[in-house]
Amino acid sequence: MLADVRQLYETRLGRYQAAIALEKTDRIPIATGSNYFAEVYSGNTKQDTIYDSVKWLQAEEAFIRDFPEVDVLRNNRIWGPLYDAVGCKTYRLPGRDLPPNTQFQFVEDEYMKADEYDVFIKNPLEFMLDRFLPRVLGELAEPGSIRARMALLKGGMAQAQMGQIMRNRAIYLEEKLGMPQPMTGFFLAPFDALADVMRGLKGTLLDIYRQPDKVLEACDVLVDEMVNLALATADPLKRYPIFVPTHKACFLSPKQFDTFYWPSFKKTMERIIEAGYTIRAYLEGDWGHHIHHMLELPKGKVLCDIDNQGDIFKAKEVLGGHQCVAGGIQDSLFILGTPQEIRERVKLLCETVGKDGGFIINGGCNIPYDTKPENYRAMIDAVIEYGTYDRNFTPKPKTVQPDGKEPVKLKMVTPWEVKLAELGTVMGEESLIRKAWEQLEVMGYTWIWQWVL
Amino acid sequence: MTELAKALMELDEQKVYQLVEEKLNNGVSPLDILAECNEGMAGVGDLFSQGQYFLSQMLFSAEIFKNVMKQLEAVLPQTQESTGKNKVVIGTVKGDIHDIGKNIVVSLLKGSGFEVIDLGVDVPAEKFVAALQESGAKVLGLSALLNFTYPEMKNVVQAVTDAGLRDQVTIIIGGAPCNEQVRQFAGADYYAEDAVAGVNICKKVYAC
Repeated sequence: MLADVRQLYETRLGRYQAAIALEKTDRIPIATGSNYFAEVYSGNTKQDTIYDSVKWLQAEEAFIRDFPEVDVLRNNRIWGPLYDAVGCKTYRLPGRDLPPNTQFQFVEDEYMKADEYDVFIKNPLEFMLDRFLPRVLGELAEPGSIRARMALLKGGMAQAQMGQIMRNRAIYLEEKLGMPQPMTGFFLAPFDALADVMRGLKGTLLDIYRQPDKVLEACDVLVDEMVNLALATADPLKRYPIFVPTHKACFLSPKQFDTFYWPSFKKTMERIIEAGYTIRAYLEGDWGHHIHHMLELPKGKVLCDIDNQGDIFKAKEVLGGHQCVAGGIQDSLFILGTPQEIRERVKLLCETVGKDGGFIINGGCNIPYDTKPENYRAMIDAVIEYGTYDRNFTPKPKTVQPDGKEPVKLKMVTPWEVKLAELGTVMGEESLIRKAWEQLEVMGYTWIWQWVL
Repeated sequence: MTELAKALMELDEQKVYQLVEEKLNNGVSPLDILAECNEGMAGVGDLFSQGQYFLSQMLFSAEIFKNVMKQLEAVLPQTQESTGKNKVVIGTVKGDIHDIGKNIVVSLLKGSGFEVIDLGVDVPAEKFVAALQESGAKVLGLSALLNFTYPEMKNVVQAVTDAGLRDQVTIIIGGAPCNEQVRQFAGADYYAEDAVAGVNICKKVYAC
């Protein structure tokens, strides 16, 4: 990597990390998590992003050329071919079931029935393989059939292809363009894991009235699985936060949130933070009644994206000095507003919520596809003008110190010990065999759970 | 407030079904039962406006109300005279397939005695226009979750204008990406911040 590209990468990453950690930096980072605008700015369709990884990367290269002030760009996205290989039913995809220029959309259904809690709680993995996957992945609908077995095979292969694409992309963004990522890896709040794809919103809401204890028990079981999913998909170098989109908290009353949503979510985040990671949480909808709970987590570890319905000023008032907040520009302003309006808004934000750090300018959890380019430019110019703290300060990335703790053991179906016992003995270097065995076991296990998203 | 209305307002699900069942067995007219339920739903709306209820309670009340309607359907007078009054056409605009918010509004409207022509999701402009022409409804509700729908909302308003209906129809927009700026852009009459606000606008339109 060229020295100046390395420098650029480190400055950007350092700036982003400092904002999350509430530490001194040179200016407010331009660090949206989901920059949809970047994907289509060069003229690509929305289908291109998820089906043509070369065109996707070209789009972002063009974007970075025109907006070099941007500090992070997103990597992991839905990769269409994987979803097709297994017939995933949870999304409608542009170019497949939607016009190529319509954004992907989530489709909710009940893939776990109301009377299946006990089965799930007793053996989550078995439930996932025997019941959940055949329902949510259309190609696996008839377990044991040739088509289903082929689909599982193709699904694994597609996952490896996707991993390769994302890895190459990350390396290219880092080494050629000096561009870090806003987040790597993902998980859900246990309640969302239940309420998104498994039971759906309606099912889960009925359950909290009709069988509240079961919901709580299921959430408890899901803590372990979500921690595992997060750590298995995270950046091993711990540079980037792990992503958690929160979906259903905004529907709940404070009492319901405190009872059903928060305890298991908090436990999940605590364990992820304990493992040495930060978290980027999209607080979707209005979290006004719930957001103070983020104070219960260690300082500077959870970057909170405030959505359009939320109030960035209140969020800062509550979390300021404890967690970084992002947001402040309505999606409608990016799409319908004028550069002058954007400029005024950014100025206001910089002078209020941004003035003592721990703040990132963003739309409501993303930069919309239909953002006017001149509005995006106006946002950047205004951030540089009003959001600079110290021009002479050069941010540096954090180095991750080994903490001497045993790394968290990731979940497997057949641990190496079992396999070794079957083999009896190995003739050569055991660790070589063990490492690859465990890696594939972890990948397989993670593959199964990713479909709750 | 009657016992049934109160049970519905308090989301006491089993009690609601049981009371409806009892009333039916005792020969109470289904229309009277419906009136009690409407009172309960209005109570739910009030609690929401007061900040005591949240979306989850709205959704749950809508579910109970829907189940009561099923209980009543078998016995409700089959051909209700369509009065041409109190009709609302509603749908999620073309391109968007989300309907949680819209469904809450539909339930609340029905619970307030409106006749709702629910066109579902991904509804093209011409379908909205046809439904308005057919029903003579004075209110059109446009729902959206995704922000790419702004031009489509504007498009629907234009289609209503082109059909010569604009001065007879009040157009309300609502849903997560909507606000006053979007209302102005689309040329709609109102932006409803939540379901209750939307229902109140409908009531206002039909009051005059």
